[in-house]
Amino acid sequence: MRKIEVTREELERIIKLCENIEKRGLDPFTVNIRELLERLRRIIEENPNLDHYVVDAETLYRISTLIALQHKWLREKARALFIDAQMISTRLTAMDKKTLVKAFLKAWHPIISLEQMTPQRLRQGLEHFLSLPPRSGSREFGWKIADREMEFVKARLKLEEKAMMEKIKALHRELLEKFEEKGEALDYWEFIKGKDFDETFERAYLLSFLITEGYVDVKRNPLKNEVKLIPHKEQVERKSPTSLVISLRGEI
Amino acid sequence: MSGEESFSRRLMIAATMLLFKSHRRPGVRGWELKHRLGKNYMRVIDALNSRLKQLGLEIKTVFEEGEENNLDRARFYVVLSHPLTMSDLVAAGWRIDEVAALSITLSILSSRGGKAPLRDVLEVLETKFPKWKAETYLERAIRRGYIERLEDDVLTIGWRTKVEIEQKALLKAVLEAREEKEIRSD
Repeated sequence: MRKIEVTREELERIIKLCENIEKRGLDPFTVNIRELLERLRRIIEENPNLDHYVVDAETLYRISTLIALQHKWLREKARALFIDAQMISTRLTAMDKKTLVKAFLKAWHPIISLEQMTPQRLRQGLEHFLSLPPRSGSREFGWKIADREMEFVKARLKLEEKAMMEKIKALHRELLEKFEEKGEALDYWEFIKGKDFDETFERAYLLSFLITEGYVDVKRNPLKNEVKLIPHKEQVERKSPTSLVISLRGEI
Repeated sequence: MSGEESFSRRLMIAATMLLFKSHRRPGVRGWELKHRLGKNYMRVIDALNSRLKQLGLEIKTVFEEGEENNLDRARFYVVLSHPLTMSDLVAAGWRIDEVAALSITLSILSSRGGKAPLRDVLEVLETKFPKWKAETYLERAIRRGYIERLEDDVLTIGWRTKVEIEQKALLKAVLEAREEKEIRSD
């Protein structure tokens, strides 16, 4: 049992060694591949069990990766004119900064490219600007908007919100009345239809709030291409809500 | 539109695509050029290249690793064809120290097959700069795409180096620079 553990540890050490060389970009020729393979053969012969074979296979894979790395290393070295890395390091240490820069300039061909402003970039910039936090405590609501202006904007928003709530309530009442009148689910397109496209769009928009809040259920029949509305007097809690996309076009 | 007019229009499109940055990185893929210029896009690129050469620029094609013949997947860039001078460098806003640090880093990486532990690079850099400066220059080189930092603090050649630097020429220049100095001192 002890022996099995030792050989397993040995295999894991070999795997770790190969991994280290691969990851850290060390010289793969510092390892004697032949010796590693001989050790692996000995371990396989001494431990003929399935558990070991898995680790053996992993070790063999790592060693073959190392051989591939040696091949790549040789190719890179040939490309770099077989210049010794140590020699380069020594030379770099001895050179002064200006000489280093001059050497670099001989091999450097910088990319020429121009930045350009696109509508997307402008939009991104605006979004970023608006999302910036306030500069300091004195300007609580952001760049160049005074507290008084902000109060005014808030009051206006409140009014608009109130007006919208009124419109939603009116639409809900209308929906309930029509539903009671007809006694069956209402057709979505028929209901949202207004005098012109603007009104149709507004009705669809307001209706979407009623649907989201659970005041109206939507039943869709893809076979007949029908969308039906079933209103509720009270808000209904949904167990598994889903999203439905309905696109409006100008021809309505 | 005559054939000649159409060709010069395609030249203009190619120049705009190559010179204006439209992605996060500069450069255009072969398939993008094919899409805009047609399947004979290499003819347009060659014609544009000969015109750019008159201005000291050239088009460089960088193939994806392992796809050395696939022009569609390759990236095309416009680069400076002649070397910059020291004064050009300063005028372009580069600091001598920073370029020296880049030169050291890339020479080490190139001489080691494109990969080296951060510790080894810092060791050489620290013979010239204080540690904080060396680290700052490395960070900047990473941001600019000259080098990449892998896990376990290993540095490797970045995409920009593959485009802009002739690595063999850099190593040769480093070796020759020392010889020049020796000759001068003699």
